[in-house]
Amino acid sequence: MNKKRDRLEVIYDFLRIIQDNHNSIKPTPLLRKSNLSSQSFNDYFEELLGKGFVKEIYDKKKKKYITLSDKGFHYLEKYNTILGFIDDFDL
Amino acid sequence: MMPPFLESGFEAEFLYTLIVVVLCFLVYHKTKEIYELTKHQGIKYFRSAFLFLGLAYVSRFLIHLIILTDLSFRFIIPRRIMFFPVFTVPVTYFSTMAIFFLIYSTIWKRIQYKNFLILSNAVAIFISITAFFSRSLILISLLQLVLLLFTVIISTRNHKKNKKKYTRTLYFLILLLWLVNLFLLSPGRILPYGSKIFFQIVSIIVFVAVYFKVLKWIK
Repeated sequence: MNKKRDRLEVIYDFLRIIQDNHNSIKPTPLLRKSNLSSQSFNDYFEELLGKGFVKEIYDKKKKKYITLSDKGFHYLEKYNTILGFIDDFDL
Repeated sequence: MMPPFLESGFEAEFLYTLIVVVLCFLVYHKTKEIYELTKHQGIKYFRSAFLFLGLAYVSRFLIHLIILTDLSFRFIIPRRIMFFPVFTVPVTYFSTMAIFFLIYSTIWKRIQYKNFLILSNAVAIFISITAFFSRSLILISLLQLVLLLFTVIISTRNHKKNKKKYTRTLYFLILLLWLVNLFLLSPGRILPYGSKIFFQIVSIIVFVAVYFKVLKWIK
C-alpha cells in the first residue's frame, strides 16, 4: 500500500518528472505522471509557478510547455539535504 | 588594581554571551536557504526558537551589565532599581517564546499554529508582567522550569515511538542550561567562579553540538 506523500515529496516528484523529460513537458502528461487529482495538480502547479520553481514557455505553435527554473533545479539538488535535516531535528 | 568590571567576571560573561549569541544567529542564518526553498513549518519554528534564544541571551547580558554597573558606580538611585524591571521583561519574553518555539517545532503537525501563537504569547506576556513587578529572576526561573517540564511531558507523549532521543536531549539541555544561567544571575546566587565557568562551558558545548548537527546537513 502506498503511503500518502507529504508536500515536500509531491513537489520533488513534480519537479523530477519535468527534469526527466529533458526539462520540457506539456501540462497533460505532467498531470498524468504526477499521480495527482486535477485539483491538487492545479494547486501545486500554481504554487510552484508563483514561487518561481517552474516556468511556462510556448513553442512556435503556441503550445504550452512547463520547464524548471534555476530555483527548481536547486530544490532537486537540495532535496536529500532537506529531508535529512528535517528528520535529524525531528521537525 | 583591576577595574570592578573585570573583577566581577565581565570578560568571561561577555565572551560566553558572544559565543552563544553568534552560534544561535549562525543556526538561524544557515537554515535560511532551506526554509526559503521549502517554506517548511517545522524549519520555520526551529529557526524562530534560535532567534528568540539569541535575543534572550543578549537581553540577559544587559541585565548582567546593569548588575555590574550598579556594583561599579553608586548613584543616588541605584541602576538596579531603575532599570532591572525594564530589562527583565525582554529576557523573560524572548526566553519563554524560545522554549515554546523549540518544542512546537517538533509537534507543529498536531497543534494549530493559531492556538499555539495565542497560548505562547499569553504565557510569555504573563511571565513577563510577573517579572516586571516581582523583579525576581528566581521566580521567573521556577515558572519557566514548570513550563519546561510541561512541554517535555507533551513532547514525550507525542513522540512515544520516536527514536530522536539525542536531538530531544540537546533541546532539553539548551533549555535547562538557560534556566541555570538565569537562576545564577539572581542577586545573591553567587556560585564559586569555577562552577559558573563550568556551566558556561557545558552550555557552549551543547550549542556547538547543535551547530555542528546543522552543519552536517547544510554546508
